[in-house]
Amino acid sequence: MARLEGLSFKKERIIVLTGGRAVKISALSVAFSFLVFSLFLYLEGANPVEAYLNIFSFALAPELGLPATLHRGLFMLFSALAFIVVYRAGIWNVGMEGQFYLGTIGAFAVAFAFPNLPSPVLIPMMLASAALFGAGYGAITGFLKGKLDVNEVVVALMLNNIAFWLVYLLTVGGPWAGSIASSSRPLPEPARAPRIWETPFTSLLAAALAVILYIFLKYTPLGYQIKVYGGNPNVARHVGISSLKVSVLVMALGGAISGLAGYHMWAGDAAFYLIPRPEAYKAVGDMTYWGIIIGLICLLNPLASIPTSIFIGAITVGSTVLVRRFRLPFGLDILFLGIITISFVAFQFFYNYRIKMRRG
Amino acid sequence: MWPFIARSLEISTILLLAAIGELLDERSGVLNVGIEGIMLLGAAAGFIVGDAVGGFVGLLVGAAVGGLIGFLHGVFSISLKVDQVVSGMGIWLFAMGFVTYWADRYSGPLDTKIPKIYDLSPMFPIALLTVFLIWFVLAKTHIGLKIRAVGENPFAAEVSGVDFIKIRYLCVVVGGALGGLAGASLIISYLGAWSHLPTKGLGWVALALVMFSLWRPLILLGGSLLFGFLWQLAISPETIYAGIPAPLPVLRMIPFIMTILFLVVISTETFRKKWALAKPESLGIPFFKE
Repeated sequence: MARLEGLSFKKERIIVLTGGRAVKISALSVAFSFLVFSLFLYLEGANPVEAYLNIFSFALAPELGLPATLHRGLFMLFSALAFIVVYRAGIWNVGMEGQFYLGTIGAFAVAFAFPNLPSPVLIPMMLASAALFGAGYGAITGFLKGKLDVNEVVVALMLNNIAFWLVYLLTVGGPWAGSIASSSRPLPEPARAPRIWETPFTSLLAAALAVILYIFLKYTPLGYQIKVYGGNPNVARHVGISSLKVSVLVMALGGAISGLAGYHMWAGDAAFYLIPRPEAYKAVGDMTYWGIIIGLICLLNPLASIPTSIFIGAITVGSTVLVRRFRLPFGLDILFLGIITISFVAFQFFYNYRIKMRRG
Repeated sequence: MWPFIARSLEISTILLLAAIGELLDERSGVLNVGIEGIMLLGAAAGFIVGDAVGGFVGLLVGAAVGGLIGFLHGVFSISLKVDQVVSGMGIWLFAMGFVTYWADRYSGPLDTKIPKIYDLSPMFPIALLTVFLIWFVLAKTHIGLKIRAVGENPFAAEVSGVDFIKIRYLCVVVGGALGGLAGASLIISYLGAWSHLPTKGLGWVALALVMFSLWRPLILLGGSLLFGFLWQLAISPETIYAGIPAPLPVLRMIPFIMTILFLVVISTETFRKKWALAKPESLGIPFFKE
């Protein structure tokens, strides 16, 4: 109980959290992070309102930032979906980075092996290979979790680091090394992603996956089993749902989705069409972690992740304006994402409590 | 040979400081998966202050920042009852963002260095002392008993008159400070320069070390020495044996592969029983006091 100017505040325990309240809390936490970020902008000497207007007008203008916003945003959608499907089963997937690298390896291996195949054959093969590589890598974590209850967060983080060096092994001085220092050979012409509405077709694929995942989780028996397992693994075991099956399944699914991003990222942007030098592909790999926060803010709803991912993409792309026009330091976009994360965590308080205000 | 050993002992020092802090957290029942983030923030603060003022001040500030973030984790997970993993993840992701923004603009070598004794960082004996101290406190003192009681069953501890909130806060702040100190000594003593996200997964290895130490400080010491050696071997194998046939990236994978193998081994049937006994019973569970 606290008192302030004749008002008294009291916290009250909430037992059942309603969906509407959870949505409100998510929205408020994002709104709050805008306020906090304004403070940083102000400290850096920029007018926050002007800065926000610049960020979003650049990021959403079709002739300026929009293609990049969609490409980057929907890249993070792959990661968000990979996180969501796994967390529905109560398991953390922080291995999107490694699964994305493995997807990259899968896609490029096919493209370099069959550079002369026509696009309609080659691209589906690359996508299938990317998904398969990612799924296999994710399944390692899932298998260890389901079979021996090994901590999935630590295993996935270790696998991410291993995958980073696997890509390094192939590109830097390795069999895929190109003529540009430290990056891979370019993708053959037919491997590059065709564009629909100024964006690679894989952007639409990501959105379609979100819809499919929504239906899968909500309306299929398997989706229901995942949900039951996520609610209480012990209950799930008693009704005959196998831990091993669920954890391998969700991690393989998550891995497959993450793996597809390995095609989307490099084959979908004319600035790449290759695996860039390690610092550059690592910077892209680091973006996959924002899938965690997208998934959490969207309360594990795949459909809500579509606009949220595009919104986060707009922040990353639009923030480049801050560097160019406002001469602000690099990294402000990542700071903004960090603030959204920590503010979301702080707002979790309202999942358990509400504050009652009374006069008197 | 000696320079290599001194370097690997320094990595052991960093792992040991971070891991013993986490061990203290977990003994009181609070899981903090954000050590990598705490190390990053401690490293950044240590780097910036160390560059401006001096190495030892940098180390202290790094520890203070770590303690502050530990406190923040306490506020989230103890007072606000946020899921401990969500809070830890949040701290880690926030740290990645904040540190990139804050410290990357100063990327480059550090001007000051702390003096070393025969190439060995003075942080190594300090870390050893810390481990001994924490072992002593946990095993032999009254407050250690309280910490362990809170970690096993906060409700029972509360009934017998232990203020579990105070105990848990104490542990997360001290644990966080040790994580921050680990990050600061990584930058000031080991690397001597700032580069983008310099911890490179060390915090996660430290977290794994706590898991397979069965929450015992002395096993933790052994694990840290082993992984310090492996980590340094992966970075500069040529100092041990010039003709190692494996290419650099493969060597770099070794500490991570070994971590997974260790985790798998301690999760097998034989070890699992010991593990379940040693694990603080209330680890990771938020506790509602009505």
